[in-house]
Parts: sequence; structure tokens; C-alpha cells
Amino acid sequence: MICGFCGYTFDEKDGKQGCGGCSGGCHSIHCPRCNYKNPLEPELVKKIRRIFKKNDSDKGDAE
Amino acid sequence: MSSSSNNSSSEPAGRAGVRRVALVGNPNVGKSVLFNALTGAYVTVSNYPGTSVEVSRGNSTIEGESWQVIDTPGMYSIHTITEEERVAREILLHETPDVVVHVLDARNLERMLAMTVQLIEAELPVILVVNIMDEAERMGLKIDLELLQKRLGIPVIGAATARNRGVDAIRAAIAGYKRQGDARRRFPYSRLLEQDINEIAGMMTGEYILSRRSLAMLLLQQDEEIIEIVRHREGEGYPVLEELAREISFKRRGSFHLNLSLERNEIAKDLLNGVFVAPDKRVVTWAERLSNWSVKPLTGVPMLLIVLYFGLYKFVGQFGAGTVVDLLEKRFFVDMVNPWVIGLVKKIVPWEIVQELIVGEYGIITLGIRYAVGIILPIVATFFIFFSFLEDTGYFPRLALLVDRVFKYFGLTGRAVIPMVLGFGCDTMATMVTRTLETVRERVIATVLLALAIPCSAQLGVIIALLSKAPGALAVWSVCLLLIFIAVGLLAARILPGEAPMFYMELPPMRLPQFSNVLTKTYTRMQWYFLEILPLFVLASVLLWLGKVTGFFEKAIDAMTPVMASLGLPREAAVAFIFGFFRRDYGAAGLYDLQTKGLMDARQLTVAAVTLTLFIPCVAQFLVMKNERGWRVAGGIGLFVSLLAFGSGYLLNQLLLVTGLLA
Repeated sequence: MICGFCGYTFDEKDGKQGCGGCSGGCHSIHCPRCNYKNPLEPELVKKIRRIFKKNDSDKGDAE
Repeated sequence: MSSSSNNSSSEPAGRAGVRRVALVGNPNVGKSVLFNALTGAYVTVSNYPGTSVEVSRGNSTIEGESWQVIDTPGMYSIHTITEEERVAREILLHETPDVVVHVLDARNLERMLAMTVQLIEAELPVILVVNIMDEAERMGLKIDLELLQKRLGIPVIGAATARNRGVDAIRAAIAGYKRQGDARRRFPYSRLLEQDINEIAGMMTGEYILSRRSLAMLLLQQDEEIIEIVRHREGEGYPVLEELAREISFKRRGSFHLNLSLERNEIAKDLLNGVFVAPDKRVVTWAERLSNWSVKPLTGVPMLLIVLYFGLYKFVGQFGAGTVVDLLEKRFFVDMVNPWVIGLVKKIVPWEIVQELIVGEYGIITLGIRYAVGIILPIVATFFIFFSFLEDTGYFPRLALLVDRVFKYFGLTGRAVIPMVLGFGCDTMATMVTRTLETVRERVIATVLLALAIPCSAQLGVIIALLSKAPGALAVWSVCLLLIFIAVGLLAARILPGEAPMFYMELPPMRLPQFSNVLTKTYTRMQWYFLEILPLFVLASVLLWLGKVTGFFEKAIDAMTPVMASLGLPREAAVAFIFGFFRRDYGAAGLYDLQTKGLMDARQLTVAAVTLTLFIPCVAQFLVMKNERGWRVAGGIGLFVSLLAFGSGYLLNQLLLVTGLLA
């Protein structure tokens, strides 16, 4: 993902998540470079993206 | 689904029979975007054995054939310095990829092409991807990719992977890659360098993955890992080789590395002669022009005011908090839902006290749900659309640079823009983000300013909508808040002496946001916000109902009546302040109700809005302040903010009465 503040490209797992401040679970990832709080892509959107990916036969498959 | 395992002993090698493609290049050239485009959602991430450097791997079916795609860490040269570079080279050396895709940034072609030259010299199976072509074209740069391909003797593809441009061509190039032995170029260096390289390369007899010519250069650059490999492969012949390398290094007085780099840069320059054409007068794109304007005070401040006017005032205030709230709260809830629900509950539930809890004055549905869905939801939705749009343009880091000079007077730096900007979304979460500021002093000052003068999105939306109806009221509110923000900032910097740290940051390019991205971010933020406020609003309704049933609520209003009177506000205004104890947005919604009932004139509305904005932070923010700064600091800030809020409200009321402003 790309940080909305500094533009740094990072993997979701590299950002800090889950400071415990928000009720109802964490929906954000802090950029490892500037600490800006970026919204996490919702599962629903991820699923939709995956469907589009799967429809493209040339693209990736499961490891 | 992406999975990750931080297992340092994980095997780097892929499955048998699967071909491998390694993506290499400088950091931030779009390697990861290309990796995601090639592999889809399924990837594994593991530490490279013996290191803490993570390497992503995924599988892809390209033209019917299985490939393992390896996203290597960023590297600037085959001659490695950092651990990341060492890992990237290890992958090239030990995992023998069938294809190496070198991704570089079209805008920095000359600087990055030196590594392509190195990869070709090493006789690796290279494909060159000239990425970020869209930005380069916008800058007026012209790149003759065909000519470059001819000169390099390897496939060259132009791409803009972030926009999915060129990805199919990259796939086709990977699938159809064939070593082009004769077409591959050899890049000659000066006679002296060539002599040194040839002498060393000529003495090597072992089998290597990299070419002997490339290894000779690395040996002469004293590359320790390469020295070990060559020592191992050459066996008994190595001491002679070592002696020769030492002799050459001595003769060149250790300048081999510098000479090689300079000559390689010249080679890159020659390769690009006629390939890379920059316009005589560099085309300054609109994005660059806007970027320049936004950071200069003379143009940046008017730009900020324009952004605030159209984004906050027109879109969030007038459209969100005005038109949409009117539609949802009045037309939908008050006119349609509430009468029907009240009738239904009164028919089903025989007990008046329970009826009161569900559909009474402070009922869960008639107040809690109505506030959450009818008032707050449309405001935060429009606010988050505006916020996400602005975020994706790349404006925020420019705002940080713009205010850095002013923030220095408050003991802060432009970095404090991050919690301040986030504070407009939610002050509670922004207070937590202050922990990322460099010094304790900065953190305390930022916490005070957040608690005091940064209204959250819902509060801001309601206040803009209410005050924009009375001419001049919004201007009075804005000036008051700005003056208090500045005064408290200056005061805090005096009370807490110390040096503000340096602030610098690399500016990402300004871009036109993608509609789908803005919507996705808005959806996530709204989902989080709504899930958080709905139970709290329901709980607040229950507490208010309890207060009403027990008579405690009336007593609280009675107790606050003299305070309200000193501010020139009606007794009923105490309700909004009591609501504000629960949450800032709940208090703002209470203010909205009072205005729609016609209980306050323009002066009273402005005084109430200023006092409520400055008023003690909501319970959640107070608890976070306590966690971050401790009871003493949090209590001190709470007390200071409350006194300042009511003091400012009192003074403003007197000023408005005396001057007759807003009368």
C-alpha cells in the first residue's frame, strides 16, 4: 500500500497495527516511515479485487 | 490471502520445475506494484536465511507456464553495501533466476541505467522495464525505447505499472525470453581499466553464474563476498589471482572503484545519447506548479483557504451538514421514521418508562439513532470524501512544509501536521498519534492544541452548517479559534522551553486521485467511525434517560444554568454541553437540535459554538490523554481547557454585546 501522507510504498505487514485505541477493532495501518494512519483496505474490497484477479487467467495463482 | 512467515530458516528455493523471475532495481521504482500485478493476491513473505531482510515470493502462470516471482529488496548496484543489497545479489547468485527484470524510473534513467549496464556485463538474463513512463511523459521527457533496446541488446519495455500499463508486455517478454548472445552488448572501458579487468578475468578458471569480466571488476573493488566465492572456486590458483588484484589496486592507488563508477556513468550517458530527450525548456506540469505554489507562504496560504472554502465550507458544511442532513434527519427521521416508530412502540410496549427509553425525548431511536444516522453519518461521510480526496492528491505533506515555519513558534514542526490533520477526523485517535512526535515537549503541546482547538469532523460540519446561516458568525468563530490556537501555541512553547527538532521530508508527487481509491478509503473510515459512535450514542441515550428518570439530568441542567447565563445562553443550551461530555459530536448534534427549535440567535449560537469547540475533550479523548501523558498532565490539560473554553465564551459574549456584532 502507499502511505497517504509521505507516499512511501510498503507492505501491510510492515506497518504498525492494533494500538488498541479504537473500539470495534483496528481498521488502520501506521506507515513505517512517517507513522501516518492509513485506512486498511476492507475485506469486502479485497474480495472484489480477488474476483477480478481470478477472472484474469493470465494472472497469479495460489502458492 | 497474503500469508507471512518470519522464519529465518525458510528455504529460498522455489519448487522443482518452476521457472523463476527476479525483480530487481532501486527502492521506490514500482517493483512491488509490478510484483503484485504479476502474482495476484497470493504471496509468501519470509526472512532471507540468516538475515532480517524480508523477501516476497509469489507464483504466476504466464502464457500457460508456471513461474515463481521474487521481489528482491532495493539495490543500487551489483557492488553491494547494505544488507538489503547483499540479499538481492544473493538471490541473483544462488537462486539462478531464469529471467531478471530490472525495473527503473524513467525520470531518472541516466542515474539508474548504470545498474542495467552492470547486469548485462554480468551476463544475467535481463529484461529492462522503464517504469513510471506516465510521469516522464507529463514532464515532457521523450524516450526512444527501440533505440535503447538496440543499444543494450536486451528487451526493453516502457511501463507505468501503477496504472497497469505495460504489464501484459512484461509478461510476454518474460514468457518469450531468449538469451540474445550475439546481440548482447559489451561496454568497453578505458584502455587502462580494460587491461586490469582482462588480466584478472583471464586468470579465472572456475565456473560462475556471473561473468568473469563482472567478477573481475567486483574483485578489484574488494567485494568481500565475491572474494570468498572466487577463493572457493579457484582453489589453488587463487593466491596468484589475489596477488595480482593487490598489485593492481596498489598501482591504481585504490581509485579503481571511483574510475569504474565514473566510466560506467559515461557509458550510461552515451547509451542515452539520442534515446533520452529532455525538452529545451523543461515542461513544468500542472502538478508540479500546484506543488510549488502549495509550499510557498504567499501562494500556499490562499490555496489553503480555497481548499478549506470549497472542501469544508461548501462540500462538508453546506452540502453534507446542510442538504443531506436536512434530507435524512428532517425528511426521513423526523417526518417519516419517528412518528411511525413512536406509534408502534406505544402500541406494543405498555410501560411509559420503557416507551420513554426507546422513543422518548432522549430515546435510543428518537435521539441516539437519529443523531448517529441522521446528523453525524452524512457529515462524516462528506468529510471523509473530502479528506480522502485531499490525502490522495499528496497535499498533506505540502501542508506540513507550509506550516512548519509557523509551527516552530509553537515549539512544533511540520511533522505535527499529521496528528492535527487526523484530529479533524477524530481527536481521540489523533492524540494517540502524538506519540510519534520526536520530543515529549512536542507531544504535550500537540495534545493541548488537539484537546482545545481542533474540532472533530462531525462537530466541525455541524458548526459550519449552523453558523453559515447567520452572516458573519462563521468568520467570528474562525477568527476566535485561530487566535486562541496561536495564543495557546505561543504560550505552551514559552512554558515548555526547548528546541524544536529539524523537519524535512521527501515530497511525493502531486496526483489526481483515483475515484475508486477515494471511495474505498471513505468507506473504511466511515465504517470504523460509525461502528464506534453507534453503541456510544445508544449508551448516551440510556444514561440521559436514566438521568431524566432519576431527576439527575434536571439537577445537572439547573447546576449549569448560571454558567449558561454568564455566557448569555438559554438554560436549554446546558443540554448540548452535557451531551458534549459524552462525545464532541454528540454535543454538536445537540446544538443542531437547539438551533432547529429556534432557541438561539446568531450571537448565542456563535458563543455556544466557540465554547463547545474549545470545551473539555470527550471522555474517550480524555482517557487516551491519561494513557499517553499520565493523570497529572491529562487532568491539568482538562482543567485548563475547560476554564479557557468558558472564559473565552464569556469574553466573546461581552464583546459581541458591546460591539453589537451579529446583533
